[in-house]
Amino acid sequence: MFLDPRSILLFGANALLLYLTMLINSALVGWSIYLLILGPMLVFPALYLRHKSYFICTLLTGLWVDAALPSGFGLFTSGFLFAGAFIFQMRIRFRAEHNYHPIFLAHGVNIFCILLVTLGMGTAYINSLAFWMQVFVTSLASHLALLIVAPWFFNFERMLFVLCRLDSEPEDLPFR
Amino acid sequence: MAKLRLDRIKPLVALGAFLLAWWTIPTTVKSFLKASFSEFQAPAWVATSYLDDLENFWARRSHSKVELIEAGREVARAKSLYQFNSQRNETLENEIQRLEAILNLPSRREFRYEVARVVRRDLNAWWQQIVIRKGKDFDIPVGAAVVFSGGVVGRVVEVGAFTSRIELVTSPNFRMAANFEGDERPVVYQGLPQSGFGDPLGAVRDAPKDVIASTQIPLKLVSTRLGGTFPPGLMIGRVSWLEPGNTGIFQAGEVELDTRLLSLHEVAVLIPLYPIDLQDDVP
Repeated sequence: MFLDPRSILLFGANALLLYLTMLINSALVGWSIYLLILGPMLVFPALYLRHKSYFICTLLTGLWVDAALPSGFGLFTSGFLFAGAFIFQMRIRFRAEHNYHPIFLAHGVNIFCILLVTLGMGTAYINSLAFWMQVFVTSLASHLALLIVAPWFFNFERMLFVLCRLDSEPEDLPFR
Repeated sequence: MAKLRLDRIKPLVALGAFLLAWWTIPTTVKSFLKASFSEFQAPAWVATSYLDDLENFWARRSHSKVELIEAGREVARAKSLYQFNSQRNETLENEIQRLEAILNLPSRREFRYEVARVVRRDLNAWWQQIVIRKGKDFDIPVGAAVVFSGGVVGRVVEVGAFTSRIELVTSPNFRMAANFEGDERPVVYQGLPQSGFGDPLGAVRDAPKDVIASTQIPLKLVSTRLGGTFPPGLMIGRVSWLEPGNTGIFQAGEVELDTRLLSLHEVAVLIPLYPIDLQDDVP
């Protein structure tokens, strides 16, 4: 098959996560709290899929995020593919069937995304204390939320595989 | 062995090929991609907004008849006040037009108000934007001014088929000409990176040296007709102190903005009745 059907499911799950995050952000605006939760989106495509499907899923996810957020178009697409290539190359080292490694990766990718958007959008305010304070609060809130969101999201993705009767094991496992 | 190595660098090769393609493809293709993906997402946000309206409708249905009668009475009172003010406004407008005709003054810019619901708020360290539920379907132009009952909200930066994105007055990318109330000399207003703690702030610069602001008598910073986007006299914020700027010739200070900017539900887009003609239009 040209495209692994799981890549479509993972892309759909990523779009849902982004939508929910933005919905929460819209509601939390009075509290001056913003959540940037993009890390979990990359983990399963890079750990579960073959290269072609991973690449298409990550590319579409990146374009989706770029269109939704007011950052420069292509920033997250390039960033996702960069981080994804890194995880994909080392995916044999991670165990995707449990949540420990995916959560660890999700936090790593999320920090990368925060750094990426800070470098991409915030270079003009690099001397502003207020800017760094808000970046710090956003990072802290996002990673605290990620402790709850990431396990839920990974279990949700696994549940989708089972519901759609798709292979719930990652590709390239040593025993396959 | 060679095959194994090629397999291992496949993600990097694909990444390199993508980056090369991304840098070489024309901007029009990227714009088309962005517009396509944005338009694909817009219905979800519009639907969410309508569901929100429905939720509010059902919440109001639960109010008792007594509460509704009381609310109706208040609305009737407000309506009669606004009707009176509208008549007075019309009389004053006619008077202004008469005086302008006598003095041969150039015509002022006229605007049409398009009220729109806010469907999304994106306020963080990197960007300060909101999305409204009207776009090209209501002829919203890019660059149009956006206001609310408390004054200036921002400017339209992107227009989709059914939604528009607005850069808020709090954003560091937002800059406009302004003046202090009762003082026609122009100053520059610009948004600031927000700390997230306390009220939203902006910055004013190029204020003349003889202008004095204090916490007891803060100055009101209002919009000016310079630039042509905003009608004059719209509230931007209050300035409680001014200090000499970098050049030493002018003063600069912080502008306290309306806290309601962080929880907007409805705004009005000012659509110019006659689009700006850069050749002839002198603000």
